[in-house]
Amino acid sequence: MAVPEFFGTIERSGLSTWIRESPSLFAFYFILLLHTVGLSLVVGANVVVDLRILGVASALPLKPLKQLFGIMWAGLGINGATGILLLIAYPTKSLTNPLFYVKLLLIAFAVVTLQRIDARVFGDGSLSEASMVARGKMMAMWSLLLWIGAIAAGRLLAETFRYLTYADILKGKA
Amino acid sequence: MNYAHLHLLLNHFPIIGTIIGLSLLLLSFVGDNRDLRRSGLIIFAAGALLAIPAFLSGFGARIMLSRDPGVSSALLERHEAAAMLSLWFMETTGGLALVALWRSHRTPRRARWHLPVVVLFALLTVGLMGRTGETGGDIRHPEMRASQEAIVVEGTLGSVVHAFEPTPEKFSQAVVGSLWLWGPLMFLHFVGLVLIVGTVGVFDLRIMGFIKQLPLSPLHRFIPWAMAGLGVNVVTGLLAFIGSPDRYVTSSAFWLKMLSLLLLGLNAVAFYLTGISERVEQLESGEDAPMRAKLIAGSALLLWLAVIVFGRYIAPLSDTLPPPAY
Repeated sequence: MAVPEFFGTIERSGLSTWIRESPSLFAFYFILLLHTVGLSLVVGANVVVDLRILGVASALPLKPLKQLFGIMWAGLGINGATGILLLIAYPTKSLTNPLFYVKLLLIAFAVVTLQRIDARVFGDGSLSEASMVARGKMMAMWSLLLWIGAIAAGRLLAETFRYLTYADILKGKA
Repeated sequence: MNYAHLHLLLNHFPIIGTIIGLSLLLLSFVGDNRDLRRSGLIIFAAGALLAIPAFLSGFGARIMLSRDPGVSSALLERHEAAAMLSLWFMETTGGLALVALWRSHRTPRRARWHLPVVVLFALLTVGLMGRTGETGGDIRHPEMRASQEAIVVEGTLGSVVHAFEPTPEKFSQAVVGSLWLWGPLMFLHFVGLVLIVGTVGVFDLRIMGFIKQLPLSPLHRFIPWAMAGLGVNVVTGLLAFIGSPDRYVTSSAFWLKMLSLLLLGLNAVAFYLTGISERVEQLESGEDAPMRAKLIAGSALLLWLAVIVFGRYIAPLSDTLPPPAY
């Protein structure tokens, strides 16, 4: 495998080193905390919308739940930003783990599904509740499965990495 | 104050609580008294909540006492195993009591299959809690022991129960030594987190007035999902703790997380037992909740955020408290 030298270049940068090595509680662990808060916003709000479309609390009017999409997009924004910071801190750890690409793929599909539920189920104000549910059922099911898969992949990333830093790759080669 | 103080402060609640709860529940069948029944069930739920810190502080006390040559490690181990078994029965009883409370709240006259199950689990819990208390007393009270020596003396019933008690050491090794236990455990803990935060979050935001078009009564249908998330997280959280107690006992963030959870218990009491929940539940689309309800909902959201924050900081703050020393 060609050693991707630029992992090392990123890891030597000031930002990467600070996130990784600073003893401050507001460095790595704070970013990780925000990543968890973002996750609870995106997936938490999603779960409620998906369960409602799938028939839980069917007496609840569906249309006002549109407001939850703002929370979801905000959570996604937080997690995009904090995700990039975590990647800058540990590029080798993530990019050499195949599971990382699985996680990204699952999130990509989940976000596309989220956008489609937002546009096709909640975007058309003239739809009746019944036709909103009929349109959304499949997407809601996929949305739940994809987010659960993304959480599983994300959690297992912490346990399955092969190299932590670029230096580990060099050691492994020698 | 040390872990032994904390343990002695907390450990009587689950034992006495289950006895009182069971008595109230049984009395409630005489003349079908619904208030007594509700009180009994609420006491089980409270006992299940308080049993958690009682159990956790017991681990700290055990680490302390295991360095004291005057304390028998055989007696310590027996008490620990008894505590572990009774804890799972206490949590199951508490969980079933919450299910029973929710169901009788929704449909007061439905077939009550769950009540006999609660009674059965409560009976077993009372017995196992009694054994936990007795084996705990044996550690420090030689005047109570069956033998003058600090050795384990089991009656017939005791040896039968003992066969079902887990061995903490073996379990710890399994969790810490295996990625395939730890990874899935934490995955499930996050799924539980998402279930709780999503459902409780929408409920609290509505009460606070953010998604006012939602009528409140149908939102209660999400509560079983929140309870399922809570159940998953109590089980996975306790398993994680039992797997590596040393990591948690010395983390200030861990104890702050437990404190936040206890405060959430009080928050639930403030909401469900003061009559405010009945008023809130009748809110139709667009109606404003009373200020007191808004404050309770807002503080619940903040406390759940605190649970996530302190949970995340358990690891970096894992050595901020001195290890239990004798």
